[in-house]
Parts: sequence; C-alpha cells; structure tokens
Amino acid sequence: MLTSLLRSLWAIYRKDLAVAWRNRATLAASFFPVVGFLLVQAVGVSAVGRNPVALVTLDPGPAGQQMARIIHTANVFRLTDATPAEAQSLLDNLRVAAIVTIPADFSQRVAARNLAPVDVQLNNLNLDFTNDIRRAVPDAITQYYAAQGDANPIKISLVETDLRAHDVQFFQFSVLPLLVLLMLLNGLVTSAVATAREWESRTIKEMLLSPTPPGVIILGKVLAGVTITLGLGLVVLGLGAALDWTRPAPGAWPATILILALVAFLGTGLGVALGAAAQRIQPVTTGSIIIAFYLFFLAGGIGVLAFQPAWLQAVAVFDPLSYGVHALQMAVFYGANDELGLDLLVLSLASLAALGLGALAIRRRLAG
Amino acid sequence: MLTQLRSDLRVVWAVARKDIRTALTERVSTILTLFLPLNFLILLSLFALSGSLAPTAVVMNDTGPLAQQFYTAMAGAHSFRLQTASAAQAQALLQAGKIVAVITLPADFDTQIQANQPVVVQVKINNLNTDFTNDVRRAVPLAITAFYAKAFPRLVTITAAERDVWPRDTDYIPYLTVSILVVALMVGGLLQAGTATAREWENGTIKELLLSPASRWAISAGQMLGAFLLGLGSAAVLLLVLIFVVGVVPLHWGELLLFTSLTIIIFVAFGALLGTLLKKRQAFLPLAFGTSLPLFFLSGAFGPISFQHVPLLEGIAQAFPVYYAIVLQQHAFHNFNLNTLGVGLNALVLVGYAAALLGLTALVLRRSSLAS
Repeated sequence: MLTSLLRSLWAIYRKDLAVAWRNRATLAASFFPVVGFLLVQAVGVSAVGRNPVALVTLDPGPAGQQMARIIHTANVFRLTDATPAEAQSLLDNLRVAAIVTIPADFSQRVAARNLAPVDVQLNNLNLDFTNDIRRAVPDAITQYYAAQGDANPIKISLVETDLRAHDVQFFQFSVLPLLVLLMLLNGLVTSAVATAREWESRTIKEMLLSPTPPGVIILGKVLAGVTITLGLGLVVLGLGAALDWTRPAPGAWPATILILALVAFLGTGLGVALGAAAQRIQPVTTGSIIIAFYLFFLAGGIGVLAFQPAWLQAVAVFDPLSYGVHALQMAVFYGANDELGLDLLVLSLASLAALGLGALAIRRRLAG
Repeated sequence: MLTQLRSDLRVVWAVARKDIRTALTERVSTILTLFLPLNFLILLSLFALSGSLAPTAVVMNDTGPLAQQFYTAMAGAHSFRLQTASAAQAQALLQAGKIVAVITLPADFDTQIQANQPVVVQVKINNLNTDFTNDVRRAVPLAITAFYAKAFPRLVTITAAERDVWPRDTDYIPYLTVSILVVALMVGGLLQAGTATAREWENGTIKELLLSPASRWAISAGQMLGAFLLGLGSAAVLLLVLIFVVGVVPLHWGELLLFTSLTIIIFVAFGALLGTLLKKRQAFLPLAFGTSLPLFFLSGAFGPISFQHVPLLEGIAQAFPVYYAIVLQQHAFHNFNLNTLGVGLNALVLVGYAAALLGLTALVLRRSSLAS
C-alpha cells in the first residue's frame, strides 16, 4: 500500500518536474529579470548616496583652501573641480546636481568673523537627491570646524552607537529581498500554472479516475514546485556568494537554506491554492505575479521596513514574507538568531496554512 | 490599389474588434490586465515611501530653550520624522524596528552650550542599510549647523547659502509616480498585446488567420489596434488615479496625451512581437512583469541618469524607450528636462522606436509559419 502510494507520489513529482523542464522559457522568464536587476544594481551601486557636484574654489586664502580640501575628503559627493563657466556648463548639461562655490572673500570673512556663506546652486528636481546635498554641505562644514581643534566653536559632538555589528551596503542589502521575491514569484507561478494546467488540459479527469488519493496528488505537486523553486533560489544564492554580492555568515548556511526552503513552501502552497481555485492558466499567471509583488512590497521591498510609514509597518506584521526577509538578513549579514525563532515559526505556520489552503482548494475542486 | 487598401482596413478593424471581444469574454483576465498598471503604480509607490523621512525618537533629558531650539533644528533637517520619548521607550521602539534612530540630548545641554563647553549628543542608529543610515548620520550635522546659525550666528559664521534652479521643490512621490506611470504603461501595453498574440498561437487560431487571404500586415495591425484601444482604457484608469487621487497634475496636457499614446503604441508593438516570438502566455507574462523592475531602476526613474556617472548604465538605459518616455512624461507633468536632447528630439526617438517596432512585428508575423 505504502509502496504504491510512494510510487504514485514519485510519478506525479517526476511528471511535474518534466513538464516544468519542458517549459524552460517560463523558468527563464522569472529568473533573468531578477538577476538582470541585480546586475544593474551591482554596476550602479557606486552612484548610490553620493551625488555629482562641481566645486568652484575662488578663494586662494587658507580658509578657502582648507574648506575645499575638507569637501574633497568628506566623501559626501562625487566631486569635479571646475571654473565657474565649466561648472555652469556641467549643471546645464545635467552632469552635476549642484555647484558648490567657495567665494573669493571666504578667508577674509572667516578671519573677520563675518558671515561666510558657501554658495550652493542646486538642481532641485526632486527631494531625494536635493536633500542628500542639503545634508552633505553642512556635514562638510562641521568637518571643517572639527578640524580647528580647540578653536572649534561648535561644542556639540556626536557619539554614534550602532544597533548592528557592522553596516550593510545598499546593494548587499537589496540582494536578499530580491532573492525572496524571485523564489516567491517562481513558487507561485510554477505551481499555480502546473495545477491550473491539469484542468485546462483536462488531465485532472485522469487523476480523478485513478486510485491515487488526492493527498498524494497534492503532495507530489507541492514537492515538485518546492524542488524547482528552492533549486532556483540556491542557484541565485550561490551566484551571489561567488560574485561576492552576499554571502551567508560562517555557520549560517543551514539556517539560510532552511529559510529559503520555507519561502519555497509558502510560494508553492499559495500557488497550488490559486491554481486549483482559478483553473485557468492566464488569470492564474497574472494573479500569481500580482500576489507575489504585493507580498514583496508590503514586506518593505528592497527598503528597510523601519523607514516605512507606520501603517505599512502595521500591514507588514501580517505579511509572512517580512519575517522571511528579516530572518534571512539576520542569518546572512550577522549570523545572528535575532528573533529567528519567531521568524521561523511565522514562516512555517504561513507555509502550512498555504499548503492547507492548496490542499483544501484541490480537494473541493476534485469533489466538485 | 484603393480596393486593396479598403480591404486591408476592413481586416484591421475586424481583427481589432475580434481581439477586444475575445478579451472581454475572459473577464477575470481583462479586469486584471486593465487594473494591472494601477497595481504597479500602487506597488512601486510603496517603494517610494521608504525614501521619505526617517522615524526617529529624541530623548530630551533637557527641556531648556536651547535644547528645544536644537529639536526644532532637527525637525527642519529634511530628514527626520521626530517624536519625543523616554530612554526606555526609545530603546524599545528601536529594538522593535519602529524607528531607525534615537538621539539623546544630555541633561546639561543648555548649561553646557551657554558656558561654551563641550556637549555630547548620543545617536543610536539601526545601521541595517548604509543608504538609509547615512542620511541620518549626515542630517545631525545639518541640524547642528542650523542650530548654531540661529542661536549663535556670530560664533559659527560658515553657512550654506542655497540657490535653487527650480522655483519650488518637487517631493519624492510626485516625481517618482510620473516615472512609475511610464513603467505601468509599459506593462499594460505589453500585456494587452502580448497575451492577445500569444493566445492566437496557443489556441491554434493563428492557423486560420495565416491561411486566410488577408494580408499579414493588416492582421498584425489589427491585433495591435485592439490592444492599443484596451491599453487606452487601462491608461485612463491610471491617469485618473494619478491626477485626482495622488494629486499630480500635468503642466502640459497635450504632451501628456501625446506621449502616453506613443508609449502605449511602442509597448503594444513590443508585446505583439514578444507574443509572436514566445507563442505562450505562460512564458510571456513573467517576462513582461519581470522586465519592468530592472527597467524601472535602470531608466532614470529617480532622477537624470547622467547624475549616476556610470557610462555603461547610461548606455543601456538609452537603448530602451522607457528612458525617453520617462524624460518626456517628467516634462509633461513638471516641465523638467532630464536630458539635453530637448522635447522634440526625445519625442522623435520615441516615434522612431514605435515605427521600428511596428515594422519589426509585422515582419516577424509575415515570416511566421504554421510549422514554427
């Protein structure tokens, strides 16, 4: 009896894998855009957070030269030294976002303790980079004053304590949510389409007439979906480690793989449920993609959830993907178990609920 | 000649009507496709929210006038969403991920500042992502210089004197939603045409079309016309939400309508091309969706791509029509020029893309055979 069931399970599993392999274009279609996006990010990462600015130093005096040196070493801009005409041309041709000008009488004014403004001409197209520049210039000014030592009139100093052991760069940070998106998307689409196809191609009739119990059919489908999705996730994780994009901390590989497996189960379970409910390939494909993208963005997307508005943080509490992303971040970046238990519990329960939902949907349809 | 043209136009209209009717019979799919660009607008706008102000707790151990002035300076630093809290509350909020930083002013803040003695302000940051946390790190010095400029203008004389190119700032959301509009139009156009074309191959109805005496360019044009008309419906929903709900009103209505139509035409043609080549909706759909995300980030959605100073990315972005469409829509909505080509030349590039893609799609269908 058990042997027969296992044989049926194996047959369904192999059949679904074979069908997915025949539809390699679908696998490629979900794989390449995400990897393409990661490559785009990897190339463009140098531009993040440091805006292009032209520096015009009109003052040959000591304060002017020191300020220019500080602006160079402050590491807050991508600087181009320029004459006023060159700088204006760079601004007009959108090669820089701002011109910072140290006026000719800057040293004189500083020495006389008169107001000594540093001129900032800003292409204030949008607040994202405009505010970056607005923050960066005072940063350079405080560094200038800090370099005065005891003569520094700014008596407020900052002592920074970081919550995490080390900073994570923007690109490294964005790899993990995108990996989760890829897996959820693939799990949903693969299993939803595999399930809906049984109805659309009427092969469900044969399954119904076979002595195989529905539970075995569902399990075979889910396992096939999880295998494909987890395989894809591991390929991208391996690729990320090989290219030094993101590599799990030493000893964190088992936890990382476990989390990825749970995400794969979640996506697959939801996919089976959706496929059985809608029974048509096209709406199921579109619906799967919409669901995956909503769950992804409501979990914070490639941003930091703590930076999102309170209402979105409140919604994210009910999005299992946010627990998956958090658990991965902790495991991969810090090798830490910070709330890992809670993350794994929520992810496991959500995966089980999704699988249960999938099983229920198939059973209902089979019964109908 | 004229009779042939008349016959071709009849075919174009018949195919377009047939495609619209077919789409309307698949109601769930049609509703999903019609509202999909709107979903894109909502989803990518969620991404934009993370670029806004950092939620930060300030522990005011001193509530004197100078400490209050420092708090006000922080509030004006274009970076924080501030709330005051006790040390324990702030720590709990930070641990729970509800805020990203805690700034603690010492109990002797006023006394020390008045005596011109050193004061240490503690900043605790959730340093999970440098892009976000550097904003906080740089905003505190901005608050300090702003505080000194106001409280002790004779002490700290170096300030930043800002002159803006544009009369007013444009917030992140109004700017970004215009870029998102283009990507949403792209996805909408691709889906309308791609699914309709791939459906013909999946259902085998392409056989009847190709074996009919109708010219293939007319069949192709009809498919694209049907998708274009459906795409217009989808774009109308999108624009209504953008203008009346989000509140982003275009400055140049004529440009908006023209560039929106042009963008739909381009992606309808591209969708028809992909649908003809892939012949399967199942393969086409994830590709259409998946491509949107990298293209969104690549094509200057956040600002002029020339600011990146990465020639490879600039080159890739300029190879895609999404880039030109974003430039043109930003001009239509905000009067911004995001490159040096000017509106006319950018529009000409889009027209070129539209003509090339329409021709290529007709050619591919013309060369398609039932065996392929």
